[in-house]
Amino acid sequence: MKKQPRFLSLLLIIGLFIFVLVPFVPLVLSSLSFGWRWPDVFPQGWSLRAWEYVVNDVRTWQAVGISLWIALIVTFVNLLLALPAANALVRYPVRGRWLFEAIIFAPIIIPPFISVMGIHLSFLRFGLTETVLGVVLAHIAPTLPYMFRAIMVSYQTLSVDWEDQARMLGAGAMPRFFHVVLPHLLPGILAGASLSVLISLSQYLITFIIGAGQVVTLPILLFPFISGGDPAIASAYSLLYGAIAIMALVGMDAALKRYYQMSRVPQQEKGVKP
Amino acid sequence: MWQKSKPYLLLLPASFTIILLFFGGIFDGLLKSFGYFPAIGETGLNLTAYDRLLHSSDFWQSMALTLRVAALSSLISAIIGAFLAVALFFVNNSTKKAIPRPWQRLFQLPLTIPHLVAGYMVVLLFTQSGFVSRLLATVGWIDGITEFPVLVNDSFGWGIILTYAWKEAPFVALMLYPVLSRIHGSWSDVSRVFGAGPWQFIREVVVPVMMPAWTIATFIVFVFTFSAFEVPYLLGVTYPSVLPVYSYQLYTSGTLSDRPEALAVNMILAAITILLGLVAYYISKRWNVLKGWG
Repeated sequence: MKKQPRFLSLLLIIGLFIFVLVPFVPLVLSSLSFGWRWPDVFPQGWSLRAWEYVVNDVRTWQAVGISLWIALIVTFVNLLLALPAANALVRYPVRGRWLFEAIIFAPIIIPPFISVMGIHLSFLRFGLTETVLGVVLAHIAPTLPYMFRAIMVSYQTLSVDWEDQARMLGAGAMPRFFHVVLPHLLPGILAGASLSVLISLSQYLITFIIGAGQVVTLPILLFPFISGGDPAIASAYSLLYGAIAIMALVGMDAALKRYYQMSRVPQQEKGVKP
Repeated sequence: MWQKSKPYLLLLPASFTIILLFFGGIFDGLLKSFGYFPAIGETGLNLTAYDRLLHSSDFWQSMALTLRVAALSSLISAIIGAFLAVALFFVNNSTKKAIPRPWQRLFQLPLTIPHLVAGYMVVLLFTQSGFVSRLLATVGWIDGITEFPVLVNDSFGWGIILTYAWKEAPFVALMLYPVLSRIHGSWSDVSRVFGAGPWQFIREVVVPVMMPAWTIATFIVFVFTFSAFEVPYLLGVTYPSVLPVYSYQLYTSGTLSDRPEALAVNMILAAITILLGLVAYYISKRWNVLKGWG
């Protein structure tokens, strides 16, 4: 009786592994292959040619830089917009709350490319196409709702009493914000920032419409390769692109841990152990 | 006065940005879908684009394909996602301790992989000369490349469906897992006292508990796959194409007269997604599954 569930759960874990990891196998093999004829499961020859091409090409690092730069600006702007808005919606009685929520959450439901195709000609007239600024403006709508939601959730657990206490102890608005509010919101901000960076990194169509091929982010650089280019190079680029998305997330998480260690606030475990 | 208007002032920057950049774009598109192009001297409003669209078989074929792909993608990822969540739940229960964090990370990996990369992984796995075909040939199930079915850039949309199944199943599982973790270990003991086996426990306790969240998660995947561009653009065929790709093809076809039609496709897409979004919102409100959401 006791042994069977163990065996079953082992089987389930193996199933999970296969589902998640096996799809990466051909990608890795292909990026290292030197000739890979059907029906061989492994390539005939191995070579680092594709990786050398990817690493040595200036365009790769330009694209990585521009993608991260856009993602960071977008995230910063989102933070400035979402902080006051989340504060207002959580802590004040707001009339027409549903309307504000509907406005800010709308880009989650309505696909952003619809708006971008509509605004394209206006952007063209204002000289915003083919510019990083234009792409940043296009990326704000799809990412802001996630930042907003994450900060809202954090605000819900922040009692006004804490700030009142700080106020009674003589703290002004600025110290109150930086020493009471911000540390409490930080996990939420980082969660929102991770999503914001991830979503900005993965935009292809709206970057392509507004950037018009002149603002070359990673997906723009990648697309010609994966739609019928050299498979080895396409695989290497795909792995690099995936790795940067993962690293952006892991980096944010590490930053949060470091912050907690530095401020010596013990990390609380969620929930109570039974 | 200041105290009363303060929250609205705080809401102003975010709302104004979304209204200007997002709703402004939709409104711009709406006007142009009615044939309003001041740049080329067209200032009248008409329904020509909608009329042409609703009478073209291309549009309806595209609509049918989009619905089919979205329905199959959301259903398959819902089934795999539920399976993943229940599996994790049982593994957790039987080992009596939480799954170590790196493992949970691993299981969320498909969520972090960009859609284009996931799409290319499906290309390498499932083209006729892909990895799965090689494996099948090695074990002797097929003898030639052409014996492997066309699953990528096929007119049915299997490649798109497979990509979404891989990407969105962990999303469904992630939505379900917190709900499942509300099931106490004692419930399983109680069910055993009443003589229920593991299957009955799943059917009578686990499934009813996760049903509301499961419906919502499936619905969200449906709305997303219905209006997503990247994966179908990479893995679909030129004709028929899903609605977002169809709109893009019309928009970039070169002739200015196709543009109102492209924007009309967009407006129809927007209307459908708003409708679906409202339905999801009311269901979730009723079942109270999205606590903390919005």
